[in-house]
Amino acid sequence: MGEYLIRRTLQSVVVLFLISVFTFGLIHAAPGGPTQIFLSPGLSVEAGQIKAEQLGLNDPLPQQYFRWLGNILTGDLGATFKNNIPVGDILWPTVKNSVILMSVTWILTLLIAIPWGVYNSTKEYGLSDQTASFISYVGFAMPTFWFGIILQSTISIKLDWLPLSDMYTIGKQGDIPDLLMHMVLPVSVLTLISLAGYQKYMRSSMLEVLQQDYIRTARAKGVKENKVVFRHAWRNALIPLITLIGLDLPMLVGGAALTEKVFNWPGMGSLFVDMAMAREYSVLMAITLLSAVFVVIGNLIADILYAAVDPRVQLGKGGK
Amino acid sequence: MSAQLQPASNTEAPADIVPQSEKPLGPWRLTWNKFKRNPFAMSGLVVLFLFIVAAVAAPWLSPYDPARQDLLSANLRPFTGDHVLGTDELGRDIFSRIVYSGRISLTIGFAVAAVAVIIGSIIGAISGYFGGWADIIFMRIVDVMNSVPTLFLNILIGAIFGTNFLLMIMILSLTSWMGVARLVRGNFLQLREMQYVEAAKSIGVSSWGIIFRHLLRNASFPIIVNATLMVGGAILAESGLSYLGLGIQPPDTSWGMMLSNAQEFMLIDPMQAVYPGVCIFLVVLSVNFIGDGIRDAMDPRQKAQLSPRRLDQWRAKFSKSTK
Amino acid sequence: MARKILEVNEMSAGFLVNKEIVKATDRISFNVEEGKTLCIVGESGSGKSVTSLAIMRLIDYAGGAILEGDITFNGASLPAKDQDEMRRIRGNQIAMIFQDPMSALNPVFTVGDQIAESLRLHQNKSDKDAMKEAVELLRQVGIPSPEVRAKQYPHELSGGMCQRVVIAIALACRPQLLIADEPTTALDVTVQAQILDLLQSLQKETGMAIILITHDMGVAAEVADRIVVMYAGGIMEEGSVEEIFAKPSHPYTVGLLKSIPGFEANDGNELYTIKGTIPRINQLPTGCRFHPRCEHAMDICRNQEPGFFQLGQDHKAACWLFEEHAAESKVSPARAAIEHGEVRV
Repeated sequence: MGEYLIRRTLQSVVVLFLISVFTFGLIHAAPGGPTQIFLSPGLSVEAGQIKAEQLGLNDPLPQQYFRWLGNILTGDLGATFKNNIPVGDILWPTVKNSVILMSVTWILTLLIAIPWGVYNSTKEYGLSDQTASFISYVGFAMPTFWFGIILQSTISIKLDWLPLSDMYTIGKQGDIPDLLMHMVLPVSVLTLISLAGYQKYMRSSMLEVLQQDYIRTARAKGVKENKVVFRHAWRNALIPLITLIGLDLPMLVGGAALTEKVFNWPGMGSLFVDMAMAREYSVLMAITLLSAVFVVIGNLIADILYAAVDPRVQLGKGGK
Repeated sequence: MSAQLQPASNTEAPADIVPQSEKPLGPWRLTWNKFKRNPFAMSGLVVLFLFIVAAVAAPWLSPYDPARQDLLSANLRPFTGDHVLGTDELGRDIFSRIVYSGRISLTIGFAVAAVAVIIGSIIGAISGYFGGWADIIFMRIVDVMNSVPTLFLNILIGAIFGTNFLLMIMILSLTSWMGVARLVRGNFLQLREMQYVEAAKSIGVSSWGIIFRHLLRNASFPIIVNATLMVGGAILAESGLSYLGLGIQPPDTSWGMMLSNAQEFMLIDPMQAVYPGVCIFLVVLSVNFIGDGIRDAMDPRQKAQLSPRRLDQWRAKFSKSTK
Repeated sequence: MARKILEVNEMSAGFLVNKEIVKATDRISFNVEEGKTLCIVGESGSGKSVTSLAIMRLIDYAGGAILEGDITFNGASLPAKDQDEMRRIRGNQIAMIFQDPMSALNPVFTVGDQIAESLRLHQNKSDKDAMKEAVELLRQVGIPSPEVRAKQYPHELSGGMCQRVVIAIALACRPQLLIADEPTTALDVTVQAQILDLLQSLQKETGMAIILITHDMGVAAEVADRIVVMYAGGIMEEGSVEEIFAKPSHPYTVGLLKSIPGFEANDGNELYTIKGTIPRINQLPTGCRFHPRCEHAMDICRNQEPGFFQLGQDHKAACWLFEEHAAESKVSPARAAIEHGEVRV
């Protein structure tokens, strides 16, 4: 187990290193070179040169890269170009907000999707199954942000049941009930969109497991049908789902950006969008790297969970 | 169902017992025959066709120039004069804008799918067929690309290179080829061990000849399904970026851009947000129905098309045993 | 004569395929006596497995149904029971073991747990008692260091071990009837013999009846008291093991015997095969279902399905060759083949 973890972590470090090179390279590959994009158009040529010299933008690229990497590794994410605010000061609060939104969504999605998918697998083409299949088609075809807008215009504006946007009502910072009220709409949007896919996946995974020989063995033993489903089939059907969850993590981090933007949720995703508009590249690089770290850690956790659920996977021997 | 449970479908009939059918249908023909019988897929095809016709005929269909502003007739209700869907806050005709947006969204959807399939197929083919270092390098690139949320990647590339119409196609293609690459690679890994590849090699067919003439053709069905679903994905991605203001830029217009506009004026005219959204939804839904239809039609396994309800009815009628 | 524990009477079971009812077994009848072993022999696709699923009523879960006839177990009709009553019989009075032991065990539970489950279900044993007995059962089926094995997962055991575990699960509640569906087919030859020996010795200990389903006449010869030969959903020949091997009568039975390497005739260099393949069950020929592959097919075989002809006190075959009563001295072509030394029995 320990050995496996070390090896997987090393692999993750390699991927993260490549991502840092990639992100850095992308920004420096822009037409006109880095100086062009790092500098705001209002600056005079001379002032721009001085600023570029200060920022070390005239140094050779590898030198710039390792300086940047070294800073990041020591926790220094750099500063914004315009007001020279440390990136960390902007970034960390938004990370917290995103994590609040996403973890609630995540838990809710899985809590609904897994039992629902299991149930639908036992009642194929029943009413509940048809409904789920309808929702999944709708969920896959509907732009998230549009769904958000529609909810806003009906529930918040027309009916005035829930707050339109933001995380807290002004002056109520840190008030939990207020936060919950603000969360209902974005969480509903995100949950409904991802719910359908997981339900569908769980259902088909269950259907496959229910045809396995060991399910027949369980029935031949006289196991009650609901125990056949919830004891014998369920755990086996969960195994592929865990991998899917790991693979879907980037979608989760990125997909939330649109929803965050619609509801003006002060999260990492909306920060990324705002900073892209403002061309604050140090922030963009930091967020890209950070989201990659999330994804890599998520995959690592998925691998460990995978091994916990499936005894056939032996972490020590590295089988996957 | 295990093979044993269904002796009926399990055993091969001897050739001389099965009546020789006329001329065997080709795989494309068979797929089409099955596809035709799928009501969802066919209605998807019809809806998509209508949207394509509207996009092609946009100059004749739309009564106004989509970019023409007329502040005197801003925010008109639907069916005012010849503004079928009314006008927006700058007095632009919404119907005309919808039609012209369709042009952009559909072109982007299909172009991105095509380019991404080409990139993905080439990279997947090289990885799967040659293996070795090429494989390692390409697959690490895929890992890296998959570890960064696609939306961030799109925004990042867009922010640097700009986002005009052609760049938009390039950006979205560059961030969506990974699925096809993985698929083609996996397919090649299986296929390259096959006898006919050996045979082709032994008669001196070049590697690229094998890849294009033999292997890609065999992988074409799953690639097509993947490409179809990618059309929908690209349209959604474009609309998201344009909604954020990081995609298509004026004077061009797209459904996503219209939505971003509509949100600002939600209090005045909520219906403005409905039209472009419904268009995106319908197009993506159609494309997904078509993709699913193709996949089902190409699935050689005959699905048990018996619903449990029908099975119960049948049992009630014939079965000796109680339920 | 021992008590009949199971009676299958004119039973047809089948599936709905493309809106058509397809009978996988066609009005088959046979009995199983207490403490005895009945072998059902036939090629794959002959309806053997469906028969076993029908008895267990597991066919309901496979999308099929019992269409006509009756199955009586201890005097009670099984098709008349609901699934809840069946559940109390399954694994308790009738148990079953399957062809592929590796896939018959749930990969995410320990083998001990899987055995103990039966005991908890049917005998209301506590977790601890059930586990203790599971270990005992593992010992009984010949698994060394059962305490360790009980805590292992199926993938850590060999195929033969897994089959012993499956047998332990089946035996946990001392069933009166054990149905073994090709229990040795997926195993190595050396392990096959061990498993068969194990089944026989367990039968002696517990006095249970066994239905053993196999395609292998050699296996049948080793363990059977009675043999039922099935082909394409119908019974072709039935009799005691002695009768079947001494006087194989139906051309299909003869074919099966001739295709066993050990039974091969004097020259011994070429293995006999029955021409053609078993028909799809929804494309059965008219008349006798075997006639397209039969060397002795006559006109009547093509048009009319044969009934059973009694060949001895406990031996019957469904073949027109025996129309002029088999007990008389007239020798059938199939018998002649044997007597001329083509087949050494």
